[in-house]
Amino acid sequence: MVFVMKKKFGQFFMELCCSYTFVSVIGAVVNMIGGTETNNVNVIMMFVFCTIACIVLNLHKLFDYFSPLFMIVVQYVIATILVFGTAYMFGLISEEPLTRKNWYELFRSFTIPYFIGAGIYYYGIYAEAKVQSHMIKEIQMADEKGKSAG
Amino acid sequence: MRLNLFEDKSNIDEHVDLYFKEMNPVVRQIIDTVNAERPVLYGRAADEDLDDGDIILLDPKEIYYMDFVERRLFAYTKDGVFRVKSTLASCEEQLWNYGFVRVSKSNLINIYKIKQLKPDINMRIFALFDNDEKICINRNYRKKFHEYLIRMKGIVAD
Repeated sequence: MVFVMKKKFGQFFMELCCSYTFVSVIGAVVNMIGGTETNNVNVIMMFVFCTIACIVLNLHKLFDYFSPLFMIVVQYVIATILVFGTAYMFGLISEEPLTRKNWYELFRSFTIPYFIGAGIYYYGIYAEAKVQSHMIKEIQMADEKGKSAG
Repeated sequence: MRLNLFEDKSNIDEHVDLYFKEMNPVVRQIIDTVNAERPVLYGRAADEDLDDGDIILLDPKEIYYMDFVERRLFAYTKDGVFRVKSTLASCEEQLWNYGFVRVSKSNLINIYKIKQLKPDINMRIFALFDNDEKICINRNYRKKFHEYLIRMKGIVAD
Protein backbone atom coordinates (compact mmCIF):
# COMPACT_ATOMS: atom_id res chain seq x y z
CA MET A 1 0.00 0.00 0.00
CA VAL A 2 2.78 2.40 1.01
CA PHE A 3 4.74 1.39 -2.08
CA VAL A 4 1.73 2.08 -4.33
CA MET A 5 1.16 5.46 -2.67
CA LYS A 6 4.84 6.35 -3.08
CA LYS A 7 4.72 5.35 -6.74
CA LYS A 8 1.56 7.37 -7.36
CA PHE A 9 2.95 10.39 -5.58
CA GLY A 10 6.17 10.10 -7.58
CA GLN A 11 4.19 9.94 -10.80
CA PHE A 12 2.08 12.92 -9.77
CA PHE A 13 5.18 14.92 -8.83
CA MET A 14 6.73 14.13 -12.21
CA GLU A 15 3.57 15.27 -14.03
CA LEU A 16 3.52 18.46 -11.97
CA CYS A 17 7.18 19.21 -12.69
CA CYS A 18 6.75 18.63 -16.42
CA SER A 19 3.57 20.68 -16.72
CA TYR A 20 4.98 23.57 -14.67
CA THR A 21 8.18 23.60 -16.72
CA PHE A 22 6.15 23.53 -19.93
CA VAL A 23 3.84 26.36 -18.81
CA SER A 24 6.78 28.44 -17.51
CA VAL A 25 8.72 28.14 -20.75
CA ILE A 26 5.63 28.97 -22.86
CA GLY A 27 4.93 31.94 -20.53
CA ALA A 28 8.53 33.16 -20.84
CA VAL A 29 8.40 32.91 -24.65
CA VAL A 30 5.08 34.80 -24.74
CA ASN A 31 6.55 37.49 -22.46
CA MET A 32 9.64 37.81 -24.65
CA ILE A 33 7.56 38.14 -27.80
CA GLY A 34 5.05 40.53 -26.23
CA GLY A 35 7.70 42.52 -24.37
CA THR A 36 5.88 41.99 -21.06
CA GLU A 37 7.23 40.97 -17.67
CA THR A 38 5.98 38.71 -14.94
CA ASN A 39 6.28 39.04 -11.17
CA ASN A 40 6.78 36.71 -8.20
CA VAL A 41 3.04 36.41 -7.43
CA ASN A 42 2.35 35.33 -11.02
CA VAL A 43 5.05 32.65 -10.79
CA ILE A 44 3.54 31.25 -7.58
CA MET A 45 0.02 31.46 -9.04
CA MET A 46 1.21 29.56 -12.11
CA PHE A 47 2.57 26.81 -9.88
CA VAL A 48 -0.67 26.65 -7.86
CA PHE A 49 -2.76 26.45 -11.04
CA CYS A 50 -0.53 23.70 -12.42
CA THR A 51 -0.98 21.77 -9.15
CA ILE A 52 -4.78 22.17 -9.36
CA ALA A 53 -4.81 21.07 -13.01
CA CYS A 54 -2.67 18.00 -12.26
CA ILE A 55 -4.86 16.98 -9.29
CA VAL A 56 -8.08 17.40 -11.28
CA LEU A 57 -6.72 15.57 -14.33
CA ASN A 58 -5.62 12.72 -12.06
CA LEU A 59 -9.25 12.22 -11.04
CA HIS A 60 -9.97 10.66 -14.44
CA LYS A 61 -10.44 7.21 -12.91
CA LEU A 62 -13.61 8.46 -11.23
CA PHE A 63 -15.11 8.97 -14.69
CA ASP A 64 -14.57 5.45 -16.00
CA TYR A 65 -18.20 4.92 -16.85
CA PHE A 66 -18.65 8.22 -18.63
CA SER A 67 -17.54 9.29 -22.05
CA PRO A 68 -14.17 11.10 -22.37
CA LEU A 69 -15.97 14.22 -23.65
CA PHE A 70 -18.11 14.34 -20.51
CA MET A 71 -14.99 13.75 -18.41
CA ILE A 72 -13.12 16.61 -20.11
CA VAL A 73 -16.01 19.05 -19.60
CA VAL A 74 -16.56 18.07 -15.94
CA GLN A 75 -12.84 18.26 -15.20
CA TYR A 76 -12.70 21.65 -16.87
CA VAL A 77 -15.58 22.95 -14.74
CA ILE A 78 -14.01 21.60 -11.50
CA ALA A 79 -10.58 22.98 -12.39
CA THR A 80 -12.04 26.39 -13.36
CA ILE A 81 -13.95 26.66 -10.07
CA LEU A 82 -10.80 25.75 -8.09
CA VAL A 83 -8.57 28.12 -10.09
CA PHE A 84 -11.01 31.02 -9.77
CA GLY A 85 -11.53 30.28 -6.07
CA THR A 86 -7.77 30.27 -5.48
CA ALA A 87 -7.37 33.51 -7.42
CA TYR A 88 -10.15 35.08 -5.35
CA MET A 89 -8.43 33.98 -2.11
CA PHE A 90 -5.11 35.43 -3.34
CA GLY A 91 -6.93 38.66 -4.10
CA LEU A 92 -8.24 38.80 -0.53
CA ILE A 93 -4.85 38.04 1.02
CA SER A 94 -2.96 40.52 -1.12
CA GLU A 95 -5.61 43.19 -0.39
CA GLU A 96 -5.56 43.93 -4.06
CA PRO A 97 -8.82 42.75 -5.62
CA LEU A 98 -8.63 41.37 -9.13
CA THR A 99 -9.92 43.65 -11.84
CA ARG A 100 -12.34 42.58 -14.54
CA LYS A 101 -9.45 42.40 -17.01
CA ASN A 102 -7.50 40.17 -14.59
CA TRP A 103 -10.43 37.73 -14.41
CA TYR A 104 -10.70 37.69 -18.18
CA GLU A 105 -6.96 37.11 -18.58
CA LEU A 106 -7.11 34.32 -16.02
CA PHE A 107 -10.04 32.67 -17.79
CA ARG A 108 -8.32 32.96 -21.17
CA SER A 109 -4.92 31.73 -20.03
CA PHE A 110 -6.47 28.70 -18.36
CA THR A 111 -9.12 27.82 -20.97
CA ILE A 112 -7.00 28.06 -24.11
CA PRO A 113 -4.24 25.61 -23.03
CA TYR A 114 -6.86 23.28 -21.57
CA PHE A 115 -8.81 23.03 -24.80
CA ILE A 116 -5.65 22.78 -26.90
CA GLY A 117 -4.76 19.77 -24.72
CA ALA A 118 -8.27 18.37 -25.12
CA GLY A 119 -8.02 18.78 -28.91
CA ILE A 120 -4.70 16.91 -28.96
CA TYR A 121 -6.28 14.14 -26.88
CA TYR A 122 -9.28 14.04 -29.25
CA TYR A 123 -7.01 13.75 -32.30
CA GLY A 124 -4.94 11.09 -30.48
CA ILE A 125 -8.05 8.92 -30.06
CA TYR A 126 -8.89 9.14 -33.77
CA ALA A 127 -5.30 8.43 -34.79
CA GLU A 128 -5.08 5.47 -32.40
CA ALA A 129 -8.36 4.00 -33.68
CA LYS A 130 -7.09 4.30 -37.25
CA VAL A 131 -3.77 2.59 -36.45
CA GLN A 132 -5.50 -0.20 -34.50
CA SER A 133 -8.05 -0.74 -37.29
CA HIS A 134 -5.16 -1.15 -39.71
CA MET A 135 -3.42 -3.62 -37.36
CA ILE A 136 -6.62 -5.68 -37.04
CA LYS A 137 -6.96 -5.84 -40.83
CA GLU A 138 -3.35 -7.02 -41.11
CA ILE A 139 -3.90 -9.74 -38.48
CA GLN A 140 -7.13 -10.85 -40.19
CA MET A 141 -5.44 -10.97 -43.60
CA ALA A 142 -2.53 -12.98 -42.21
CA ASP A 143 -5.00 -15.38 -40.63
CA GLU A 144 -6.86 -15.81 -43.93
CA LYS A 145 -3.54 -16.33 -45.68
CA GLY A 146 -2.60 -18.97 -43.11
CA LYS A 147 -5.89 -20.79 -43.64
CA SER A 148 -5.63 -20.83 -47.41
CA ALA A 149 -1.91 -21.63 -47.51
CA GLY A 150 -1.11 -24.94 -49.06
CA MET B 1 -3.98 -26.03 -45.95
CA ARG B 2 -3.94 -29.54 -47.41
CA LEU B 3 -5.12 -32.26 -45.07
CA ASN B 4 -4.13 -35.91 -45.47
CA LEU B 5 -5.87 -38.48 -43.28
CA PHE B 6 -4.66 -42.04 -43.00
CA GLU B 7 -6.82 -44.67 -41.35
CA ASP B 8 -4.89 -47.74 -40.26
CA LYS B 9 -6.66 -50.22 -37.99
CA SER B 10 -3.37 -51.78 -36.93
CA ASN B 11 -1.80 -48.50 -35.85
CA ILE B 12 -1.04 -48.42 -32.15
CA ASP B 13 0.88 -45.14 -32.16
CA GLU B 14 -1.48 -42.40 -33.30
CA HIS B 15 0.41 -39.29 -34.24
CA VAL B 16 0.25 -36.12 -36.29
CA ASP B 17 3.03 -34.71 -38.45
CA LEU B 18 2.60 -31.06 -39.24
CA TYR B 19 4.56 -29.38 -42.01
CA PHE B 20 4.43 -25.62 -42.03
CA LYS B 21 6.32 -22.80 -43.64
CA GLU B 22 6.03 -20.45 -40.70
CA MET B 23 4.34 -20.36 -37.33
CA ASN B 24 1.01 -18.61 -37.53
CA PRO B 25 -2.20 -18.60 -35.45
CA VAL B 26 -3.76 -21.43 -37.49
CA VAL B 27 -0.75 -23.68 -36.92
CA ARG B 28 -0.77 -22.78 -33.25
CA GLN B 29 -4.43 -23.69 -33.02
CA ILE B 30 -3.75 -27.09 -34.61
CA ILE B 31 -0.94 -27.65 -32.11
CA ASP B 32 -3.32 -26.75 -29.27
CA THR B 33 -5.88 -29.20 -30.60
CA VAL B 34 -3.37 -32.03 -30.85
CA ASN B 35 -2.10 -31.26 -27.38
CA ALA B 36 -5.72 -31.35 -26.21
CA GLU B 37 -5.39 -27.73 -25.17
CA ARG B 38 -7.96 -26.46 -27.60
CA PRO B 39 -10.48 -24.57 -25.57
CA VAL B 40 -13.90 -26.05 -25.58
CA LEU B 41 -16.88 -23.91 -24.72
CA TYR B 42 -20.25 -25.33 -23.95
CA GLY B 43 -23.31 -23.17 -24.00
CA ARG B 44 -27.04 -23.22 -23.88
CA ALA B 45 -29.43 -20.89 -25.62
CA ALA B 46 -29.58 -17.68 -23.59
CA ASP B 47 -33.33 -17.79 -23.09
CA GLU B 48 -33.18 -21.24 -21.46
CA ASP B 49 -32.26 -22.16 -17.93
CA LEU B 50 -28.61 -23.14 -17.58
CA ASP B 51 -29.50 -26.59 -16.33
CA ASP B 52 -32.11 -27.29 -19.03
CA GLY B 53 -32.01 -27.41 -22.81
CA ASP B 54 -29.51 -28.84 -25.21
CA ILE B 55 -25.84 -28.28 -24.66
CA ILE B 56 -24.21 -26.73 -27.69
CA LEU B 57 -20.51 -26.91 -28.46
CA LEU B 58 -19.32 -23.42 -29.33
CA ASP B 59 -16.48 -22.82 -31.74
CA PRO B 60 -14.46 -19.84 -30.47
CA LYS B 61 -14.01 -18.70 -34.07
CA GLU B 62 -17.75 -18.24 -34.39
CA ILE B 63 -18.06 -16.01 -31.34
CA TYR B 64 -18.20 -12.27 -31.92
CA TYR B 65 -17.88 -11.25 -28.30
CA MET B 66 -18.61 -12.36 -24.76
CA ASP B 67 -20.62 -10.34 -22.31
CA PHE B 68 -20.73 -10.75 -18.54
CA VAL B 69 -24.08 -9.51 -17.24
CA GLU B 70 -25.49 -10.07 -13.75
CA ARG B 71 -23.00 -12.83 -13.01
CA ARG B 72 -23.86 -14.62 -16.23
CA LEU B 73 -21.60 -15.03 -19.19
CA PHE B 74 -23.07 -14.84 -22.70
CA ALA B 75 -21.44 -15.61 -26.02
CA TYR B 76 -22.75 -13.77 -29.08
CA THR B 77 -22.55 -15.66 -32.36
CA LYS B 78 -24.11 -15.39 -35.80
CA ASP B 79 -26.64 -18.05 -34.79
CA GLY B 80 -27.70 -16.43 -31.55
CA VAL B 81 -26.79 -15.77 -27.96
CA PHE B 82 -25.58 -18.58 -25.72
CA ARG B 83 -25.09 -18.72 -22.01
CA VAL B 84 -21.69 -20.14 -21.14
CA LYS B 85 -20.83 -21.82 -17.86
CA SER B 86 -17.45 -20.22 -17.33
CA THR B 87 -15.92 -16.99 -16.15
CA LEU B 88 -14.74 -14.08 -18.24
CA ALA B 89 -11.25 -14.31 -16.73
CA SER B 90 -10.83 -18.00 -17.62
CA CYS B 91 -12.17 -17.39 -21.14
CA GLU B 92 -9.69 -14.55 -21.52
CA GLU B 93 -6.87 -16.87 -20.51
CA GLN B 94 -8.06 -19.74 -22.71
CA LEU B 95 -8.95 -17.77 -25.80
CA TRP B 96 -6.24 -15.12 -26.15
CA ASN B 97 -4.64 -17.17 -28.92
CA TYR B 98 -7.94 -17.18 -30.79
CA GLY B 99 -8.13 -13.42 -31.02
CA PHE B 100 -10.03 -12.73 -27.82
CA VAL B 101 -9.07 -9.67 -25.83
CA ARG B 102 -10.60 -7.92 -22.86
CA VAL B 103 -11.92 -4.44 -23.65
CA SER B 104 -13.89 -3.69 -20.50
CA LYS B 105 -14.75 -5.22 -17.16
CA SER B 106 -17.55 -7.22 -18.77
CA ASN B 107 -16.54 -7.73 -22.41
CA LEU B 108 -14.19 -9.99 -24.29
CA ILE B 109 -14.11 -9.43 -28.04
CA ASN B 110 -12.89 -11.48 -30.98
CA ILE B 111 -10.61 -9.32 -33.14
CA TYR B 112 -11.10 -11.64 -36.11
CA LYS B 113 -14.76 -10.61 -36.19
CA ILE B 114 -14.15 -6.87 -36.06
CA LYS B 115 -15.12 -4.96 -39.17
CA GLN B 116 -13.82 -1.61 -38.01
CA LEU B 117 -12.82 0.46 -34.99
CA LYS B 118 -14.75 3.68 -34.88
CA PRO B 119 -14.46 6.61 -32.49
CA ASP B 120 -17.63 8.56 -31.80
CA ILE B 121 -18.25 12.23 -31.00
CA ASN B 122 -17.98 11.45 -27.28
CA MET B 123 -14.39 10.28 -27.81
CA ARG B 124 -15.30 6.65 -27.16
CA ILE B 125 -13.87 3.95 -29.42
CA PHE B 126 -16.28 1.26 -30.58
CA ALA B 127 -15.48 -2.08 -32.18
CA LEU B 128 -17.98 -2.71 -34.97
CA PHE B 129 -18.60 -6.35 -35.82
CA ASP B 130 -19.66 -8.17 -38.99
CA ASN B 131 -23.17 -8.52 -37.54
CA ASP B 132 -23.41 -4.71 -37.12
CA GLU B 133 -23.24 -4.88 -33.33
CA LYS B 134 -20.77 -2.69 -31.48
CA ILE B 135 -18.85 -2.86 -28.21
CA CYS B 136 -17.16 0.05 -26.50
CA ILE B 137 -13.44 -0.25 -25.78
CA ASN B 138 -13.06 1.09 -22.28
CA ARG B 139 -10.50 3.83 -21.77
CA ASN B 140 -8.67 1.82 -19.09
CA TYR B 141 -8.26 -1.19 -21.39
CA ARG B 142 -7.07 0.76 -24.43
CA LYS B 143 -3.38 0.34 -23.63
CA LYS B 144 -3.75 -3.41 -23.05
CA PHE B 145 -5.79 -3.69 -26.23
CA HIS B 146 -3.05 -1.97 -28.22
CA GLU B 147 -0.37 -4.18 -26.65
CA TYR B 148 -2.44 -7.25 -27.51
CA LEU B 149 -2.67 -6.19 -31.16
CA ILE B 150 1.10 -5.68 -31.29
CA ARG B 151 1.59 -9.11 -29.74
CA MET B 152 -0.78 -10.79 -32.20
CA LYS B 153 0.80 -8.96 -35.11
CA GLY B 154 4.19 -10.21 -33.91
CA ILE B 155 2.93 -13.82 -33.79
CA VAL B 156 1.45 -13.47 -37.27
CA ALA B 157 4.68 -11.97 -38.62
CA ASP B 158 6.84 -14.79 -37.17
